[in-house]
Amino acid sequence: MKINRRTALATLAMAFTKPAFAATIEAVLYKNPQCSCCEVYAAYLGENGFTVDVKSVNDLSQISADAGVPPELQGCHTMMVGGYAVDGLVPVDIVKKLLAEKPAIAGITLPGMPAGAPGMGGAKTGSWVISAFTMDGQPPTVFATI
Amino acid sequence: MPFSLNTTLSRRRFVLGSAALPVAGMALPGTAPAAELNMRAAQASLPLLGSAGPDTAVLAYSGALEKQILRLKQGAPTRIIVENGLNKDTTVHWHGIRLANAMDGVPGLTQPPIKPGESFIYDFTPPDAGTFWFHPHANSLEQIASGLAAAMIVEEREPVPVDRDLLWLLQDWRLSEVGEIAGGFGSAMDAMMSGRVGKVVTINGAKPEGLAVRAGGRIRLRLANACVARMMALRFEGHTPMVVALDGQPCEPHEPDNGRILLAPAMRADIILDMTGEPGKGYAVTDDFYDGLDYTLTNITYESGTPLRDHPPDGSLRLPPNPLPEPDIANALRQEIVLQGGMMGGGKLKGLGGMPGMNMSGMGGGPSWAINGMSMTGDGTADMAPAFTLKRGQTCHLTLRNQTAWWHPMHIHGFSMKVLTRNGAPVPHNQWQDTVLLAPADVVECAFVADNPGNWMLHCHVIDHSMAGLMTVFRVT
Repeated sequence: MKINRRTALATLAMAFTKPAFAATIEAVLYKNPQCSCCEVYAAYLGENGFTVDVKSVNDLSQISADAGVPPELQGCHTMMVGGYAVDGLVPVDIVKKLLAEKPAIAGITLPGMPAGAPGMGGAKTGSWVISAFTMDGQPPTVFATI
Repeated sequence: MPFSLNTTLSRRRFVLGSAALPVAGMALPGTAPAAELNMRAAQASLPLLGSAGPDTAVLAYSGALEKQILRLKQGAPTRIIVENGLNKDTTVHWHGIRLANAMDGVPGLTQPPIKPGESFIYDFTPPDAGTFWFHPHANSLEQIASGLAAAMIVEEREPVPVDRDLLWLLQDWRLSEVGEIAGGFGSAMDAMMSGRVGKVVTINGAKPEGLAVRAGGRIRLRLANACVARMMALRFEGHTPMVVALDGQPCEPHEPDNGRILLAPAMRADIILDMTGEPGKGYAVTDDFYDGLDYTLTNITYESGTPLRDHPPDGSLRLPPNPLPEPDIANALRQEIVLQGGMMGGGKLKGLGGMPGMNMSGMGGGPSWAINGMSMTGDGTADMAPAFTLKRGQTCHLTLRNQTAWWHPMHIHGFSMKVLTRNGAPVPHNQWQDTVLLAPADVVECAFVADNPGNWMLHCHVIDHSMAGLMTVFRVT
């Protein structure tokens, strides 16, 4: 388990490390206590200028639903950052784009756990759609495609 | 009588049909049951948030039970007439009781569902004394998570000498912001991860407000986990609990591993607690199953008066044995159940039409889990081919293999299994279980004598998991 975690972290470090920002961005990441991918994702954010408070919770689906994430687009964890919900393994550049642009939405989500995403092993294949959602019941829109 | 003539007639046919089969302990046709009880499943309210808070609207059984406990007698023919006062179909599964298949409460497999306003007559004779529970097997997730569950004590023919015999029915509740039972049943995330774990934990339908005890006493405490998903690991600070029965079946009295009683959904443990604490002091009962989410379940508080006695009683802790058939391992038929899928499952369900743990487009749709590559979902289906078939009287040597990253309490209907090995190491203390807990990657070998004919369910008792594919059926001819 430990070796796997280290290997994953090392892989991530190679794939995603960028110069750390001087000021850190505060985030709270809610995760299932028995899921380990999110911890790797949190470490990746930590490498990229975020200070992540990881909180294990037993009602993640409720937290995600309360944050407005559409049920069919739920990610594997929910992060609160800068007044937004960021669900799933969204790459750091996209999170920073959200925080810089400050759109009038409740949050963004990358559902599923696509191979190659930060926190997962493997190589990225195909394109990923990061969806934006609001709290007013409007259908989700495309926030970014990478 | 609150049930229709049709129901009565069809039940009589059931009884006659199944009574022809020589099942140990079953009522003979024409034998008047010693006890006839009435029970109703309906809306109720419980003080989940404590006596000071408002009561919460829940679903519960009422009638022949007292404080969510139904008391039956070992070997006594029993008739329980269950009325459905809900607005959806229900059934009752008498969890852990070895009874005739037609009384097992699985809709579509062993009986038609009990429709709203209708009743069903359950006739059985509990062969084993011990701690059991019952719950619906139709619309299970919503109904059990809304509280529809109760404990069942089958009393020994001769009472076991203890000062107090207590039962804790452990339930947890996921509530909305306004304190009602939260919706969102069967969310794909819960299904793929650890299920609908609630945040509010209650004992016997109420917020725990402490257990007052007298020093020197001996308590038999029956623990029953009636949660849909919450695993528990209980510690009794300052005390040395001795486990004397698991899932209703007596075992060699022993201290639990690492001092914690691991109790997954549907599991029961009978413990003997000698009140060795100091008068006037309090001791916490804690649950530290989930990393970083440990909490105090309740406190044991000692009265300051004179101890009941100077030292614990000398009597044996051993419970009288139940009439379980001993497996014939040498001539057993070997079967294997492999659990697959779930989040972080490595795409094991790929190609099965199921939801892999990777490369999926979202969490919605399709089964999340499988047993031996097959996903039986919802409340199950009557026409699903059995995973394996056993000849009556044959011993089945069953290997349970967890290939997932999650914990699963695997429940076998109709039988108690002798647990032989866990990850290659012999399991001590003569443990028999109807609900065998598998940690991620665990391999557990069990055995049982297939002495009870019928189509029986075998499923995970994290209800979100069973409804999303961790469910199968086997047949005894």
